[in-house]
Amino acid sequence: MIGNFKLGLLALAGAFAAVPASAQVIAVQNARVYTMGAAGVIENGDVIVRNGVISAVGVDLPAPEGASVIDAAGRVVTPGLFAPTSQLGLVEIGADDESNDASPKGDFTLSAALDAVDAYNPNSTVIAIARAGGVTRALAAPSPGGKLFGGKAAVVDLSGRIGSVTKPQAAQTVVMGYGGASREGDTRMGAWAVLREYLDAAISYAANPRDYVMRPQDSRFSISDLKALGPVVAGQQPLIVRVNGASDIRNLLRLKNDYRLNVIIHGGAEAWRAGREIAAANVPVIIDATANLPYQFEDLGSTLANAARLQAAGVRIAIDAPDTHNLRLLPQMAGNAVANGLPYEAALAAITINPATMYGVQDRLGSLEVGKAADLVIWDGDPLEVTTRPVQVLIDGRAMSLENRQTRLRDRYKDLSRGDLPHAYRGGQ
Amino acid sequence: MKRSILAATALLALGACAKRGGEAASTAEPGAETGTAAEEKKAEDAIVHPPLDPYPSTYRPYASGTTLITGATLFTGTGERIENGAVLIADGKIAAVGGAGAITVPEGTATIDAAGKFVTPGVIDIHSHLGVYPSPSMSSTSDGNEATSPNTAQVWAEHSVWPQDPGFTRALAGGVTTLQVLPGSANLFGGRSAVLKNVPARTVQAMKFPGAPYGMKMACGENPKRVYESSGPSTRMANMAQYRAAWIDAAEYKKKWDDYWEAAEKFARENGDKKDGDEEKKAPEAPKRDLKLETLAGVLNGDVIVNMHCYRADEMAQIIDMSKEFGYKVATFHHGVEAYKVADLLAENGTCAAVWADWWGFKLEAYDSVRENAALIHAQPGGCAIIHSDSEVGIQRLNQETAKAMADGNKIGLGITEEVAVSWFTSNPAKAMGILDRTGTLEAGKMADVVLWSANPFSVYAQAEKVYIDGALMYDRDDPARSPRTDFEIGQQGNDFTGGAGQ
Repeated sequence: MIGNFKLGLLALAGAFAAVPASAQVIAVQNARVYTMGAAGVIENGDVIVRNGVISAVGVDLPAPEGASVIDAAGRVVTPGLFAPTSQLGLVEIGADDESNDASPKGDFTLSAALDAVDAYNPNSTVIAIARAGGVTRALAAPSPGGKLFGGKAAVVDLSGRIGSVTKPQAAQTVVMGYGGASREGDTRMGAWAVLREYLDAAISYAANPRDYVMRPQDSRFSISDLKALGPVVAGQQPLIVRVNGASDIRNLLRLKNDYRLNVIIHGGAEAWRAGREIAAANVPVIIDATANLPYQFEDLGSTLANAARLQAAGVRIAIDAPDTHNLRLLPQMAGNAVANGLPYEAALAAITINPATMYGVQDRLGSLEVGKAADLVIWDGDPLEVTTRPVQVLIDGRAMSLENRQTRLRDRYKDLSRGDLPHAYRGGQ
Repeated sequence: MKRSILAATALLALGACAKRGGEAASTAEPGAETGTAAEEKKAEDAIVHPPLDPYPSTYRPYASGTTLITGATLFTGTGERIENGAVLIADGKIAAVGGAGAITVPEGTATIDAAGKFVTPGVIDIHSHLGVYPSPSMSSTSDGNEATSPNTAQVWAEHSVWPQDPGFTRALAGGVTTLQVLPGSANLFGGRSAVLKNVPARTVQAMKFPGAPYGMKMACGENPKRVYESSGPSTRMANMAQYRAAWIDAAEYKKKWDDYWEAAEKFARENGDKKDGDEEKKAPEAPKRDLKLETLAGVLNGDVIVNMHCYRADEMAQIIDMSKEFGYKVATFHHGVEAYKVADLLAENGTCAAVWADWWGFKLEAYDSVRENAALIHAQPGGCAIIHSDSEVGIQRLNQETAKAMADGNKIGLGITEEVAVSWFTSNPAKAMGILDRTGTLEAGKMADVVLWSANPFSVYAQAEKVYIDGALMYDRDDPARSPRTDFEIGQQGNDFTGGAGQ
């Protein structure tokens, strides 16, 4: 068995020539390329990367001189996966207070003003583990604590570099539905009334900040929160609204219309029941593709057909990972949507170009097109299949290590024989 | 020496009781009880035996015909893969398994052409909270953790199970035919499990797997010490101290009953031929039943199977030593995120590890997860890997979870075949739950718990098309009439479902 092991590892290492991280020019050749752009799927396709940016995508492209060539024959290439929501970099251990910055405790004063960038830790082991699963970008979003708003979310890359924030303040988060109600008087009426109050106050503050702070007012809202909501009420920054029930969703569409907001539905278990209205309002939906249980009365209509039905209604969808520690399961979630009727390429779009578009970074990310950042993944099979894994991940054209704390632990303990020294001396260097 | 004799006597006594079941059946012919024999029997009947099965299963298989599923690839659960195979179902049992065309089919057999499809044994989840933490999830339905004391070995999960949990139907659409519903992990001793056939029913009794042994849930580590932080245990060492104190009590309780049975049988023998005018002797008095200790003594007797929630490798080693200290066996470590670190120890002790494919990081004891955990457990000689759900979502896709765990093992060269990995969600949990003689594989004579998959179950695109339980077609993806709907969901607006029970 041990013998087998070593052979297997050798085979794995030999199968794929690593690209030096410093390579300026890379040519990925002979792959099935899902561009997620106008070129669609390219068989035996090539992708040329120059200085971190895609310079050419096509067939039979000659490798530029000095390029590191990756022969990806028999492999599949996709854009790097984009997690549409997460608490990446904000949480290391869920149940540990010190390493979990994802949301404020109790009735903490501030909410909308909280900024994920302030807590984002590029050294979190969660990042390298997600990256080994082909995730190259994510929205790192605070979660609401005791108040409706969670705070400002950022688009980040998963390189683990110090400067890995791609777009700070890419979105604001808020919880409605029963989640909102439970925070504001334990009634949905309370949640909607308070949300409108916040928005009205933010509009009032934005119109004349100096005048607003001079006016006598109740101290319900902090100035920092109102300031943070400025881009939201200006319709510039997307507001990600956690909401599941069809009636709450329809309320949200009305609110969006009244306040001219740019909203994204998150959850949307019953979104399919309002599919055409959501599409007409041009509101994207981030869904849990495996939700099919009535956890509450507001998601009685939860169904595995949600993704396919929304897609058919013309709604832009993104598919969520089950949790931050398993962003690497985005393909499995998308694959299940396909098993339940979502067209294959729509599923792939839901974890690549669609989230990029939701956060206004589609000009740089989300597809394999000339001029875009070279975030790409080479897979050893169908990327949505549960038995497929990435063999190479590039972020901004840099070859990323697929090693992480989990692979190191695996390598330390795959051989349990006593050895000359304890396990603590193995693979720690 | 005397101890072991006493233990043997006790086992015999319990065995006899088990055979009797709830009724005081007699081996003697009715009407044949005359004279001394009748007296002796009467005296024996006076011996108190706590009922072993006071809430007996009323499950009866539903009607099934004779069905041949043919042309499919079979994963039998015994490590075998049969291409172009066939399974014959008759009288609720698997009648034959083999190559298509090699099976003699009785007249009137319904034939299902399953070319290009796959057949496996019914999916078995060893770790579920369906029914005790049902949907909808509200305080009114939260019945899974009796978090009022670290030792609640007296509670039985079946007394919490809500048969109307929609989660059962979703699991059915995922191919689940048998599941073990466990109490939660707040307590050191959480209580007894319920082993259920996944057949919709009005009562939990009508779901209970006939004759399945009871399991008991125990929990290591963070959960008990967090829940009882103020009153204790608040440390891992106190966790251990409280388990051990409970086993000491259990051993004493067991001895009390063993001594009583020995004395009572002696009394019955000596007073069976009592003549008129003999001095009236007082029969030995039975100890008072204690439900908590009864369950624990059941573990020491080998009647109740231990399911131990434990994440950390070092804790598993402690628990194994404790089981030896008190003479019982840990059948399965559940969750076992660090099982790969002591996979050799688990295999040597014949203990299975039930794990997730890739859950991690929600608490510190779940930090050292590796994707190859199940594969590394399996790779040990005698290793027993199980993929469990602990989730109303995960239970719907144990095939996918297994596929991931297998693939990660194979990517480091472990060479695990699909026909072997299928045992992680079929025969291995059946073995660990003590029901492998009845279900868990496609073998002639077993319960016809069978899933017909639309494609290879190790693919994300595969779906359970038809699910048979004891030969009865309980779910058919293409037939709404074969798709259960719970009382809670019926007549609700807006849940015009697709995929039937799978919603």
